[in-house]
Amino acid sequence: MGTTSTVEIRRPQRWDQPFDPDMLERDVQWLSSLPPFSEMDKSAFPANTPLDGVLRNDCRIRKVQPGEVIVREGDYGNSAFLVLAGSVRVVLGQLPPQSLGRATAKQKSWFSAISALWKQPQFPEVRTVDQITPGGSSRVQQHGDTASIFLQDFDGVVTHERTLQIGPGEMFGEVAAMYRAPRTATVVADSHATLVEVRWQGLRLLRRDRVLAQQLEQNYRTNWLMIHLRETPLFRFLPENCLQKVADATLLRSFGRLEWHSDYRRTRKLKPVEQIESEPLVAMEGHLPTDLLLIRSGFARVCSRYGEGHRTLAYLGKGHMFGLREIVHNTYRDSNQAPVTLQESLRAVGFVDTLHIPIEVVAEYVLPYIRRTELPDPISRDDQQARARHDIASQVPTGMLEFIVQERLNNGRQAMVIDLNACTRCDDCVKACATTHDGNPRFTRSGPANDGIQFTQACMHCADPVCMIGCPTGAISRHSETGTVSVHENICIGCGTCAASCPYENIQMRTMRDPKGRMYFDESAGLPIMKATKCDLCQSQPSGPACQNACPHDALVRIDLGNLEDLSDWISRRR
Amino acid sequence: MLHKRTRRTIALSITAIAVLIAAVATWLIRQRLGHASMATGWTLLASVGLLMLLGLRKKLVMLPILPVRVWTQFHIYTGLFALAIYLMHVPVVIASGFFESTLSLLFLSVAGSGLYGVWISRRGAKRLTAIAGEYRFDRFGWHRRTIADRASEIVTEVGQTGDVPVIAKFYRERLQHYFSTRPSLAYVLVPTSHRKRRLLTELGELDRYFASNVKQAAGRLAALIRNRDDLDYHYATQLRMRMWLAIHIALTVAMLVFIVVHVLMVLRFQGA
Repeated sequence: MGTTSTVEIRRPQRWDQPFDPDMLERDVQWLSSLPPFSEMDKSAFPANTPLDGVLRNDCRIRKVQPGEVIVREGDYGNSAFLVLAGSVRVVLGQLPPQSLGRATAKQKSWFSAISALWKQPQFPEVRTVDQITPGGSSRVQQHGDTASIFLQDFDGVVTHERTLQIGPGEMFGEVAAMYRAPRTATVVADSHATLVEVRWQGLRLLRRDRVLAQQLEQNYRTNWLMIHLRETPLFRFLPENCLQKVADATLLRSFGRLEWHSDYRRTRKLKPVEQIESEPLVAMEGHLPTDLLLIRSGFARVCSRYGEGHRTLAYLGKGHMFGLREIVHNTYRDSNQAPVTLQESLRAVGFVDTLHIPIEVVAEYVLPYIRRTELPDPISRDDQQARARHDIASQVPTGMLEFIVQERLNNGRQAMVIDLNACTRCDDCVKACATTHDGNPRFTRSGPANDGIQFTQACMHCADPVCMIGCPTGAISRHSETGTVSVHENICIGCGTCAASCPYENIQMRTMRDPKGRMYFDESAGLPIMKATKCDLCQSQPSGPACQNACPHDALVRIDLGNLEDLSDWISRRR
Repeated sequence: MLHKRTRRTIALSITAIAVLIAAVATWLIRQRLGHASMATGWTLLASVGLLMLLGLRKKLVMLPILPVRVWTQFHIYTGLFALAIYLMHVPVVIASGFFESTLSLLFLSVAGSGLYGVWISRRGAKRLTAIAGEYRFDRFGWHRRTIADRASEIVTEVGQTGDVPVIAKFYRERLQHYFSTRPSLAYVLVPTSHRKRRLLTELGELDRYFASNVKQAAGRLAALIRNRDDLDYHYATQLRMRMWLAIHIALTVAMLVFIVVHVLMVLRFQGA
């Protein structure tokens, strides 16, 4: 039998999966004839990603009806919108959650919390009709092949809220799409309007057009950059003019794929060394520092060469800095001393957006306003040995650091972590969860483990909640103050987008029953009503997370894995 | 938050001080020719009442009245205090007469099971973590069936490649029963690796009779034997940790009944 050493297949192409498979050639031609696309410099686009290709594959045309909610405040989106015809209205104030169909979880009184003990339903996932259908001032309506939320009292909203009208040629939602930030306002269709929705990959390509790129960057600089710099603790004493100088000199850069969750399952199987080498390099060890790096969004791995591989030393998230120590050392060094190079490398884990502040700007406008005690110590000659000693003393071993990044657990703001050396596997945590959720536990005590610590598969209420991307009705949302990600079942249409997007498989789709145990069926399709279910951090319970409260052995904790100090503290108290 | 060891030292010190105060108070009462047993008895009853609160707290997980871990620590140290008070209360460790001796035995059994619980909770957790695998208690049956099915598949698979009577016979006579049955009570009480070692030795001795393809299958069966032994160890340890709690609670209920009768009798014959 003859064998061949190769198998010929077609290489997957960039646009194998267009944003809208129903996009027709005539739609593309029509879009090309409209500004701003008609005014774009087509020669700025390379042959393999032409402007027409972007319009055909990364765009879709949406027709919206008056009162239809296009984006909701707090949602995570990966697309921007350009108004082609008609108008939309940006609600500048905060709409009550009920208007968007989001039922807020009211905290139960002690009595009602206890009474749940004898009111436990006999069947799983029991709901009343009111709990799983929209109420108040919103409604879910099928619109073409998608479901949308409509404001019931749109005129009232326009009259009573501060709003801003956006007309043809104007864009919205681009900053949230480009930088994975929550939407800052709700946008509702003012009239019958036509929009073109551009997914972020297309938006990045469209930035090849200089005019559009400048407009997008200007929007970011005007609306976001100063806010972000002001939020940085190190810059808190900078006068406004210095901060403005810093903002003017700051470069915006992005690394990695924003849709990291789609290839996460594949990359997590790689060996740590391969995983690290596959990550986009943001700054390289051994090079002279040229910029102070600020993480704007996403995560990055700090690592250094060790033998034939790379050793993870830490991971950074939003608000963290990289390169400050070297810059400070070089700024304040003696003139006869050589400048030091970067002591570690920085790599994008999934994706990372960074702000680059040139060192000259840091030296002139930042460092003079910071107390020397707040700055890192100078780098000594035997710094390598000192760092090695520090690593040994650290309570989070390198192996666990790498494991956390490999499994992308650093995304978890409220990760459930169990010390297996203290856990007797009594499952009191699961029972407590079931008790507080009408007999339906929202997690099972299983999940990846490393060095006697288990990272349980319960919703981690992520820093980058990718489950929220693409929810057609905005039923899964994050509380702006507590950060708790919860499902609003009354507007969840059971499409399963969130469950499919969650890289940790922490969202389950469940069929719903009435108090008599009868399954709810959709009257038109005849299919069972499904809803997304997940840990809600017991936000309606007076106790907070019941799992953590119920553990008799102090083995379980809900912890922010994005903050390495929290984990280190917890581990150090146990060993 | 304090380190575990620091917390333990503080809690033990407080308990020791409380015992010392109780001991001094008892000595003073006796010096004054009073009935110290009344004071220690009521202290003991109060302690038992406090010990009972843990069970109630565990039921009311939804209330923000300190986490269960704090209540558990309180339970442990109150239990130690109660044991000390018991020794001050009784004239002899096990009282005479059917009723009193039963009450003594029940109290000591509850205290003993409690101390065993503290020990097994700490040791058992570490042992489970040290043995490969992480199994949920409700899934042991499924895991056992999966291992048994895989073993059966291996033997069937290798059987299709030729005449393999030796391994098939060994599987039928020695492994099939091992894989298809639950571990014995003796194993649950004292889990040992004797059976695993014996089976692996027997399988190893047959190695020279196996063709090369059968040797591979025998290797996979050996891995399943080890896997099953680890599973059984997890099962035995988890079952013991669950059983002690059930026994501790059952003994506590029986002790409470006897305590109520004891208190009623004391009140009835007080001063007689």
